[in-house]
Amino acid sequence: MEIMRLVVTGPVGAGKSTFIRSVSEIEVVDTDRRATDDALLIKKRTTVAFDFGRLQFGPDMALHLYGTPGQSRFDFMWDILIQKAHAYILLVAAHRPHEFREARRIMTFMKQRSPSPMIIGLTHTDCSGAWDAANIALALGYPDPTRRPPIVAVNANETASVAQAVISLVQFTWAGSLAPTT
Amino acid sequence: MTVTGYLADFSLPELFQLVEQGNKTGLLTICTLTDPTTIARHNHHIWLSQGQIVAAGNSLDQQGLMRLIAQRGWMGDRAVSRLAQTCQIHTPLGLCLKNQGVLTAEQLKLLFYTQVMRQVCALFALPDGWFQFDPKAPLPVSEMTGLIATATDVTLSGLRALKDWNALDEKLPDPSSALISVVESKPSLRLNPNEWQVWEFTNGTMAIKDIAQQLNLPVAKAQQIAFRLIVTGLAEEMPMVAAPPPAAFELAAPTPLEQGFATTVTADAAGAAPVSQSFLQNLVGFLKGKV
Repeated sequence: MEIMRLVVTGPVGAGKSTFIRSVSEIEVVDTDRRATDDALLIKKRTTVAFDFGRLQFGPDMALHLYGTPGQSRFDFMWDILIQKAHAYILLVAAHRPHEFREARRIMTFMKQRSPSPMIIGLTHTDCSGAWDAANIALALGYPDPTRRPPIVAVNANETASVAQAVISLVQFTWAGSLAPTT
Repeated sequence: MTVTGYLADFSLPELFQLVEQGNKTGLLTICTLTDPTTIARHNHHIWLSQGQIVAAGNSLDQQGLMRLIAQRGWMGDRAVSRLAQTCQIHTPLGLCLKNQGVLTAEQLKLLFYTQVMRQVCALFALPDGWFQFDPKAPLPVSEMTGLIATATDVTLSGLRALKDWNALDEKLPDPSSALISVVESKPSLRLNPNEWQVWEFTNGTMAIKDIAQQLNLPVAKAQQIAFRLIVTGLAEEMPMVAAPPPAAFELAAPTPLEQGFATTVTADAAGAAPVSQSFLQNLVGFLKGKV
Protein backbone atom coordinates (compact mmCIF):
# COMPACT_ATOMS: atom_id res chain seq x y z
CA MET A 1 0.00 0.00 0.00
CA GLU A 2 1.39 3.38 -1.01
CA ILE A 3 0.50 6.04 1.55
CA MET A 4 0.94 9.79 1.64
CA ARG A 5 0.73 11.48 5.02
CA LEU A 6 -0.39 15.07 5.17
CA VAL A 7 -0.48 16.98 8.43
CA VAL A 8 -3.03 19.67 9.14
CA THR A 9 -1.80 22.07 11.79
CA GLY A 10 -2.66 25.46 13.23
CA PRO A 11 -3.93 27.19 16.37
CA VAL A 12 -7.01 26.15 18.35
CA GLY A 13 -10.19 26.76 16.37
CA ALA A 14 -8.53 27.25 12.98
CA GLY A 15 -10.66 24.43 11.51
CA LYS A 16 -8.27 21.47 11.48
CA SER A 17 -10.72 18.82 12.61
CA THR A 18 -13.43 20.17 10.29
CA PHE A 19 -10.97 20.23 7.40
CA ILE A 20 -10.19 16.55 7.83
CA ARG A 21 -13.85 15.59 8.31
CA SER A 22 -14.76 17.36 5.08
CA VAL A 23 -12.54 15.23 2.91
CA SER A 24 -12.12 11.93 4.77
CA GLU A 25 -14.03 8.95 3.47
CA ILE A 26 -14.01 7.28 6.87
CA GLU A 27 -15.53 8.54 10.08
CA VAL A 28 -12.73 10.69 11.43
CA VAL A 29 -10.95 9.20 14.37
CA ASP A 30 -10.67 12.05 16.78
CA THR A 31 -9.30 12.53 20.24
CA ASP A 32 -11.46 15.52 21.02
CA ARG A 33 -12.04 16.13 24.67
CA ARG A 34 -13.82 18.80 26.63
CA ALA A 35 -11.83 22.00 26.23
CA THR A 36 -10.32 23.66 29.26
CA ASP A 37 -8.67 27.04 29.85
CA ASP A 38 -8.27 29.32 26.82
CA ALA A 39 -9.52 26.84 24.25
CA LEU A 40 -12.91 26.86 25.96
CA LEU A 41 -13.39 30.45 24.84
CA ILE A 42 -13.26 29.32 21.22
CA LYS A 43 -14.97 25.94 21.29
CA LYS A 44 -16.35 23.32 23.66
CA ARG A 45 -14.20 20.42 22.54
CA THR A 46 -10.61 20.38 21.39
CA THR A 47 -8.22 17.82 19.94
CA VAL A 48 -5.73 16.52 22.48
CA ALA A 49 -3.77 13.91 20.51
CA PHE A 50 -4.61 14.00 16.82
CA ASP A 51 -7.39 13.61 14.28
CA PHE A 52 -7.09 10.99 11.62
CA GLY A 53 -8.82 10.87 8.26
CA ARG A 54 -8.29 8.67 5.26
CA LEU A 55 -8.96 8.79 1.57
CA GLN A 56 -8.42 5.69 -0.54
CA PHE A 57 -8.33 6.40 -4.25
CA GLY A 58 -6.95 3.19 -5.66
CA PRO A 59 -6.62 -0.45 -4.64
CA ASP A 60 -3.23 0.26 -3.09
CA MET A 61 -3.12 4.02 -2.77
CA ALA A 62 -4.32 6.10 0.18
CA LEU A 63 -4.00 9.56 1.59
CA HIS A 64 -3.76 9.85 5.36
CA LEU A 65 -4.59 13.15 7.01
CA TYR A 66 -3.41 13.92 10.52
CA GLY A 67 -4.66 16.91 12.46
CA THR A 68 -2.45 18.19 15.25
CA PRO A 69 -3.76 19.34 18.61
CA GLY A 70 -3.99 23.12 18.70
CA GLN A 71 -2.91 23.59 22.29
CA SER A 72 0.82 23.85 22.73
CA ARG A 73 0.89 21.69 25.86
CA PHE A 74 0.37 18.79 23.49
CA ASP A 75 3.27 19.86 21.30
CA PHE A 76 5.00 16.50 21.66
CA MET A 77 2.26 15.27 19.31
CA TRP A 78 3.26 17.97 16.81
CA ASP A 79 6.73 16.46 16.79
CA ILE A 80 5.53 12.89 16.38
CA LEU A 81 3.21 13.80 13.53
CA ILE A 82 5.46 16.17 11.59
CA GLN A 83 8.36 13.70 11.58
CA LYS A 84 6.30 11.37 9.41
CA ALA A 85 4.65 13.93 7.18
CA HIS A 86 5.19 14.28 3.45
CA ALA A 87 3.85 17.83 3.63
CA TYR A 88 1.65 19.95 5.84
CA ILE A 89 -0.85 22.76 5.73
CA LEU A 90 -0.94 25.47 8.38
CA LEU A 91 -4.51 26.63 8.93
CA VAL A 92 -4.96 30.18 10.19
CA ALA A 93 -8.29 31.81 11.01
CA ALA A 94 -8.14 35.09 9.08
CA HIS A 95 -10.48 36.88 11.47
CA ARG A 96 -8.50 36.11 14.62
CA PRO A 97 -5.34 38.24 14.69
CA HIS A 98 -4.95 37.13 18.28
CA GLU A 99 -3.91 33.71 16.92
CA PHE A 100 -1.37 34.87 14.35
CA ARG A 101 1.53 34.73 16.80
CA GLU A 102 0.54 31.22 17.89
CA ALA A 103 0.41 30.19 14.23
CA ARG A 104 3.89 31.61 13.87
CA ARG A 105 5.11 29.62 16.89
CA ILE A 106 3.71 26.42 15.45
CA MET A 107 5.24 27.14 12.06
CA THR A 108 8.65 27.87 13.59
CA PHE A 109 8.46 24.58 15.44
CA MET A 110 7.46 22.63 12.35
CA LYS A 111 10.15 24.20 10.19
CA GLN A 112 12.79 23.32 12.77
CA ARG A 113 11.60 19.77 13.10
CA SER A 114 10.98 18.87 9.49
CA PRO A 115 11.99 20.04 6.04
CA SER A 116 8.58 19.01 4.71
CA PRO A 117 6.97 21.53 2.36
CA MET A 118 4.01 23.52 3.61
CA ILE A 119 1.30 25.83 2.46
CA ILE A 120 -0.86 28.22 4.45
CA GLY A 121 -4.62 27.81 4.41
CA LEU A 122 -6.71 30.80 5.48
CA THR A 123 -10.06 29.93 7.03
CA HIS A 124 -12.92 32.26 7.99
CA THR A 125 -11.89 34.72 5.28
CA ASP A 126 -15.52 35.77 4.88
CA CYS A 127 -15.92 36.67 8.57
CA SER A 128 -16.13 40.21 9.83
CA GLY A 129 -12.72 41.59 10.71
CA ALA A 130 -10.86 39.08 8.52
CA TRP A 131 -7.44 40.25 7.38
CA ASP A 132 -6.35 39.84 3.78
CA ALA A 133 -3.71 37.32 2.72
CA ALA A 134 -0.94 39.90 2.23
CA ASN A 135 -1.23 41.26 5.76
CA ILE A 136 -1.55 37.81 7.31
CA ALA A 137 1.60 36.79 5.45
CA LEU A 138 3.35 39.77 7.03
CA ALA A 139 1.99 38.89 10.45
CA LEU A 140 3.33 35.36 10.00
CA GLY A 141 6.78 36.68 9.14
CA TYR A 142 6.78 36.63 5.35
CA PRO A 143 7.59 40.17 4.17
CA ASP A 144 8.70 39.08 0.70
CA PRO A 145 5.79 37.81 -1.45
CA THR A 146 8.22 35.99 -3.73
CA ARG A 147 9.71 34.01 -0.84
CA ARG A 148 6.74 32.63 0.98
CA PRO A 149 4.71 29.45 0.80
CA PRO A 150 1.51 29.48 -1.24
CA ILE A 151 -1.46 30.92 0.62
CA VAL A 152 -4.91 29.58 -0.20
CA ALA A 153 -8.32 30.47 1.16
CA VAL A 154 -10.18 27.42 2.36
CA ASN A 155 -13.64 26.78 3.71
CA ALA A 156 -13.06 23.85 6.04
CA ASN A 157 -16.76 22.96 5.92
CA GLU A 158 -16.83 22.41 2.16
CA THR A 159 -15.43 19.25 0.61
CA ALA A 160 -14.65 21.00 -2.68
CA SER A 161 -12.71 23.75 -0.97
CA VAL A 162 -10.73 21.32 1.17
CA ALA A 163 -10.03 19.10 -1.86
CA GLN A 164 -8.73 22.17 -3.72
CA ALA A 165 -6.46 23.06 -0.79
CA VAL A 166 -5.06 19.51 -0.73
CA ILE A 167 -4.49 19.70 -4.49
CA SER A 168 -2.60 22.97 -3.95
CA LEU A 169 -0.47 21.34 -1.27
CA VAL A 170 0.29 18.30 -3.41
CA GLN A 171 1.03 20.40 -6.50
CA PHE A 172 3.30 22.74 -4.55
CA THR A 173 5.13 19.87 -2.88
CA TRP A 174 5.70 17.88 -6.02
CA ALA A 175 5.72 20.70 -8.56
CA GLY A 176 8.45 19.03 -10.59
CA SER A 177 6.93 15.57 -10.49
CA LEU A 178 3.40 16.21 -11.65
CA ALA A 179 2.74 16.12 -15.37
CA PRO A 180 -0.16 18.32 -16.53
CA THR A 181 -3.49 16.54 -16.30
CA THR A 182 -6.51 17.25 -18.40
CA MET B 1 -6.16 47.16 2.22
CA THR B 2 -7.21 48.76 5.51
CA VAL B 3 -6.21 46.72 8.55
CA THR B 4 -8.34 46.97 11.67
CA GLY B 5 -8.37 45.24 15.02
CA TYR B 6 -7.80 45.58 18.74
CA LEU B 7 -4.48 45.98 20.49
CA ALA B 8 -5.46 43.24 22.92
CA ASP B 9 -5.50 40.89 19.92
CA PHE B 10 -2.63 42.29 17.91
CA SER B 11 -0.32 44.43 19.99
CA LEU B 12 1.34 47.68 18.99
CA PRO B 13 4.83 46.12 18.78
CA GLU B 14 3.41 43.47 16.44
CA LEU B 15 1.69 46.17 14.40
CA PHE B 16 4.92 48.12 14.10
CA GLN B 17 6.72 44.99 12.99
CA LEU B 18 4.04 44.43 10.35
CA VAL B 19 4.11 47.97 8.94
CA GLU B 20 7.89 48.04 8.85
CA GLN B 21 8.32 44.64 7.24
CA GLY B 22 5.57 45.51 4.78
CA ASN B 23 7.19 48.90 4.00
CA LYS B 24 3.78 50.42 4.50
CA THR B 25 2.83 54.02 3.93
CA GLY B 26 -0.28 55.48 5.49
CA LEU B 27 -1.95 56.45 8.73
CA LEU B 28 -2.24 54.28 11.82
CA THR B 29 -5.02 55.48 14.09
CA ILE B 30 -5.40 54.13 17.61
CA CYS B 31 -8.58 54.85 19.52
CA THR B 32 -8.11 54.22 23.23
CA LEU B 33 -10.71 52.21 25.10
CA THR B 34 -9.32 52.67 28.55
CA ASP B 35 -12.54 53.20 30.44
CA PRO B 36 -15.73 51.79 28.94
CA THR B 37 -17.87 53.69 31.45
CA THR B 38 -16.89 57.05 30.01
CA ILE B 39 -17.37 58.30 26.51
CA ALA B 40 -14.01 60.02 26.60
CA ARG B 41 -11.91 58.40 23.95
CA HIS B 42 -8.67 59.62 22.56
CA ASN B 43 -7.37 59.17 19.07
CA HIS B 44 -3.69 58.82 18.40
CA HIS B 45 -2.38 59.16 14.88
CA ILE B 46 0.91 57.83 13.58
CA TRP B 47 1.94 58.52 10.01
CA LEU B 48 4.28 56.14 8.25
CA SER B 49 6.22 56.30 5.04
CA GLN B 50 7.78 53.12 3.66
CA GLY B 51 7.51 51.49 7.09
CA GLN B 52 9.13 54.40 8.92
CA ILE B 53 7.43 56.72 11.37
CA VAL B 54 7.41 60.30 10.09
CA ALA B 55 4.93 62.04 12.42
CA ALA B 56 2.48 61.51 15.25
CA GLY B 57 -0.27 63.51 16.85
CA ASN B 58 -3.62 63.52 18.59
CA SER B 59 -5.61 65.33 15.94
CA LEU B 60 -6.01 65.55 12.20
CA ASP B 61 -6.18 69.34 12.06
CA GLN B 62 -2.65 69.67 10.67
CA GLN B 63 -1.80 72.05 13.52
CA GLY B 64 -0.05 69.68 15.91
CA LEU B 65 3.54 70.53 15.01
CA MET B 66 2.77 74.26 14.97
CA ARG B 67 1.31 73.95 18.47
CA LEU B 68 4.43 72.14 19.67
CA ILE B 69 6.64 74.90 18.26
CA ALA B 70 4.47 77.53 19.93
CA GLN B 71 4.48 75.63 23.24
CA ARG B 72 8.26 75.71 23.21
CA GLY B 73 8.05 79.47 22.79
CA TRP B 74 10.14 79.40 19.63
CA MET B 75 7.49 81.09 17.47
CA GLY B 76 3.85 82.09 17.70
CA ASP B 77 1.11 80.05 16.04
CA ARG B 78 0.36 82.72 13.49
CA ALA B 79 3.97 83.32 12.58
CA VAL B 80 4.54 79.60 11.96
CA SER B 81 1.34 79.44 9.97
CA ARG B 82 2.45 82.36 7.77
CA LEU B 83 5.86 80.80 7.17
CA ALA B 84 4.27 77.43 6.44
CA GLN B 85 2.46 78.96 3.50
CA THR B 86 5.79 79.77 1.87
CA CYS B 87 6.98 76.15 2.09
CA GLN B 88 7.15 74.03 -1.02
CA ILE B 89 4.16 71.77 -1.34
CA HIS B 90 5.83 68.43 -0.48
CA THR B 91 8.40 69.72 2.01
CA PRO B 92 7.90 68.77 5.66
CA LEU B 93 7.17 71.86 7.75
CA GLY B 94 10.05 71.24 10.15
CA LEU B 95 12.58 70.92 7.36
CA CYS B 96 11.16 74.01 5.66
CA LEU B 97 11.53 76.06 8.85
CA LYS B 98 15.07 74.79 9.29
CA ASN B 99 15.92 75.74 5.71
CA GLN B 100 14.59 79.22 6.42
CA GLY B 101 16.82 79.49 9.47
CA VAL B 102 13.89 79.63 11.86
CA LEU B 103 14.66 76.35 13.62
CA THR B 104 17.98 74.67 14.30
CA ALA B 105 18.73 71.00 13.75
CA GLU B 106 18.78 70.48 17.51
CA GLN B 107 15.36 72.09 17.89
CA LEU B 108 14.05 69.85 15.14
CA LYS B 109 15.37 66.78 16.95
CA LEU B 110 13.73 67.91 20.16
CA LEU B 111 10.43 68.43 18.34
CA PHE B 112 10.63 64.97 16.80
CA TYR B 113 11.45 63.42 20.14
CA THR B 114 8.45 65.12 21.77
CA GLN B 115 6.09 64.50 18.89
CA VAL B 116 7.00 60.92 17.98
CA MET B 117 9.19 59.15 20.50
CA ARG B 118 7.48 60.38 23.65
CA GLN B 119 3.90 60.16 22.38
CA VAL B 120 4.23 56.84 20.60
CA CYS B 121 6.22 55.11 23.31
CA ALA B 122 3.47 55.95 25.80
CA LEU B 123 1.06 53.92 23.67
CA PHE B 124 2.85 50.64 24.43
CA ALA B 125 1.28 50.70 27.89
CA LEU B 126 -2.29 50.94 26.58
CA PRO B 127 -4.29 47.95 27.85
CA ASP B 128 -6.44 47.98 24.74
CA GLY B 129 -7.48 50.13 21.85
CA TRP B 130 -9.07 49.87 18.47
CA PHE B 131 -6.68 50.40 15.58
CA GLN B 132 -6.97 51.07 11.91
CA PHE B 133 -4.23 51.34 9.33
CA ASP B 134 -5.32 53.32 6.30
CA PRO B 135 -2.84 52.95 3.41
CA LYS B 136 -4.62 55.64 1.39
CA ALA B 137 -4.24 58.49 3.88
CA PRO B 138 -1.93 61.22 2.56
CA LEU B 139 1.20 62.18 4.47
CA PRO B 140 0.68 65.49 6.33
CA VAL B 141 3.70 67.66 5.54
CA SER B 142 2.55 70.25 8.09
CA GLU B 143 2.88 67.63 10.87
CA MET B 144 6.27 66.39 9.71
CA THR B 145 9.63 67.54 11.04
CA GLY B 146 11.48 65.87 8.19
CA LEU B 147 13.06 63.42 10.62
CA ILE B 148 12.13 59.76 10.64
CA ALA B 149 12.45 56.78 12.96
CA THR B 150 12.17 53.15 12.02
CA ALA B 151 9.26 51.40 13.69
CA THR B 152 11.81 48.94 15.08
CA ASP B 153 13.79 51.71 16.81
CA VAL B 154 10.62 53.13 18.32
CA THR B 155 9.55 49.67 19.49
CA LEU B 156 12.93 48.96 21.03
CA SER B 157 13.05 52.32 22.82
CA GLY B 158 9.43 52.11 23.92
CA LEU B 159 9.67 48.59 25.29
CA ARG B 160 12.96 49.25 27.06
CA ALA B 161 11.35 52.16 28.86
CA LEU B 162 8.10 50.35 29.58
CA LYS B 163 7.50 49.98 33.31
CA ASP B 164 4.07 48.33 33.30
CA TRP B 165 3.98 45.24 31.08
CA ASN B 166 0.42 44.21 31.95
CA ALA B 167 -0.89 45.23 28.53
CA LEU B 168 1.60 42.92 26.81
CA ASP B 169 1.65 40.12 29.33
CA GLU B 170 -0.25 37.67 27.13
CA LYS B 171 2.04 38.38 24.20
CA LEU B 172 5.25 37.44 25.98
CA PRO B 173 6.86 34.18 24.90
CA ASP B 174 6.26 31.19 27.11
CA PRO B 175 9.04 30.60 29.68
CA SER B 176 9.30 27.01 28.47
CA SER B 177 9.89 28.08 24.85
CA ALA B 178 13.30 28.55 23.29
CA LEU B 179 14.39 31.33 20.97
CA ILE B 180 15.77 30.87 17.52
CA SER B 181 17.61 33.50 15.51
CA VAL B 182 16.09 34.57 12.22
CA VAL B 183 18.97 36.75 11.05
CA GLU B 184 22.04 35.30 9.40
CA SER B 185 24.69 37.42 11.08
CA LYS B 186 24.86 39.51 14.22
CA PRO B 187 22.04 42.02 14.64
CA SER B 188 22.71 45.47 13.27
CA LEU B 189 20.41 46.99 15.90
CA ARG B 190 22.08 48.57 18.88
CA LEU B 191 21.16 46.09 21.59
CA ASN B 192 21.78 46.73 25.27
CA PRO B 193 23.96 44.34 27.30
CA ASN B 194 21.04 42.22 28.55
CA GLU B 195 19.61 41.93 25.06
CA TRP B 196 23.01 40.82 23.74
CA GLN B 197 23.25 38.24 26.49
CA VAL B 198 19.85 36.76 25.66
CA TRP B 199 20.65 36.98 21.95
CA GLU B 200 23.60 34.62 22.53
CA PHE B 201 21.06 31.91 23.39
CA THR B 202 18.96 32.17 20.24
CA ASN B 203 19.93 28.73 19.02
CA GLY B 204 16.72 26.94 19.87
CA THR B 205 18.17 24.73 22.58
CA MET B 206 17.50 26.48 25.88
CA ALA B 207 14.17 27.48 27.40
CA ILE B 208 13.73 31.14 28.31
CA LYS B 209 13.37 30.23 32.00
CA ASP B 210 16.74 28.47 31.83
CA ILE B 211 18.29 31.43 30.01
CA ALA B 212 16.99 33.61 32.83
CA GLN B 213 18.61 31.35 35.39
CA GLN B 214 21.87 31.28 33.46
CA LEU B 215 21.95 35.07 33.26
CA ASN B 216 20.68 35.59 36.78
CA LEU B 217 17.64 37.49 35.53
CA PRO B 218 14.05 37.24 36.71
CA VAL B 219 12.08 35.04 34.28
CA ALA B 220 9.68 37.91 33.50
CA LYS B 221 12.61 40.12 32.57
CA ALA B 222 14.00 37.45 30.25
CA GLN B 223 10.56 37.07 28.65
CA GLN B 224 10.40 40.82 28.06
CA ILE B 225 13.83 40.84 26.46
CA ALA B 226 12.88 37.83 24.34
CA PHE B 227 9.74 39.65 23.24
CA ARG B 228 11.83 42.63 22.17
CA LEU B 229 14.08 40.37 20.10
CA ILE B 230 10.99 38.79 18.52
CA VAL B 231 9.11 41.96 17.59
CA THR B 232 12.23 43.59 16.21
CA GLY B 233 12.64 40.70 13.80
CA LEU B 234 15.74 39.17 15.33
CA ALA B 235 14.35 35.96 16.78
CA GLU B 236 11.33 33.69 16.85
CA GLU B 237 9.78 31.83 19.73
CA MET B 238 10.05 28.08 19.36
CA PRO B 239 8.13 25.72 21.61
CA MET B 240 10.34 23.02 23.08
CA VAL B 241 9.01 19.51 23.05
CA ALA B 242 8.21 18.16 26.46
CA ALA B 243 8.18 14.43 27.08
CA PRO B 244 4.59 13.20 26.81
CA PRO B 245 3.46 12.75 30.41
CA PRO B 246 0.61 10.19 30.32
CA ALA B 247 -1.18 11.87 33.19
CA ALA B 248 -1.20 15.19 31.37
CA PHE B 249 -3.63 13.91 28.75
CA GLU B 250 -6.54 14.05 31.17
CA LEU B 251 -8.18 11.49 28.93
CA ALA B 252 -10.25 8.49 29.55
CA ALA B 253 -8.35 5.36 28.52
CA PRO B 254 -7.75 5.57 24.77
CA THR B 255 -9.77 3.31 22.56
CA PRO B 256 -7.98 0.45 20.81
CA LEU B 257 -8.43 2.39 17.59
CA GLU B 258 -6.59 5.42 18.98
CA GLN B 259 -3.84 3.17 20.29
CA GLY B 260 -3.54 1.55 16.89
CA PHE B 261 -3.07 4.83 15.06
CA ALA B 262 -0.60 6.08 17.62
CA THR B 263 1.46 2.95 17.06
CA THR B 264 1.29 3.41 13.30
CA VAL B 265 2.59 6.92 13.52
CA THR B 266 5.33 6.39 16.05
CA ALA B 267 6.64 2.95 15.21
CA ASP B 268 7.65 3.57 11.59
CA ALA B 269 11.15 4.62 10.69
CA ALA B 270 11.72 8.36 10.82
CA GLY B 271 10.83 10.41 7.75
CA ALA B 272 8.27 9.88 5.03
CA ALA B 273 8.76 7.29 2.30
CA PRO B 274 8.70 8.81 -1.19
CA VAL B 275 5.55 8.43 -3.25
CA SER B 276 5.42 7.55 -6.93
CA GLN B 277 4.46 9.87 -9.77
CA SER B 278 1.45 7.71 -10.61
CA PHE B 279 0.33 8.05 -7.00
CA LEU B 280 0.46 11.84 -7.25
CA GLN B 281 -1.37 11.95 -10.54
CA ASN B 282 -4.07 9.58 -9.33
CA LEU B 283 -4.51 11.59 -6.15
CA VAL B 284 -4.81 14.92 -7.92
CA GLY B 285 -7.18 13.44 -10.48
CA PHE B 286 -9.31 11.94 -7.71
CA LEU B 287 -9.43 15.19 -5.76
CA LYS B 288 -10.31 17.18 -8.86
CA GLY B 289 -13.41 15.03 -9.08
CA LYS B 290 -14.48 16.47 -5.72
CA VAL B 291 -13.90 20.11 -6.61
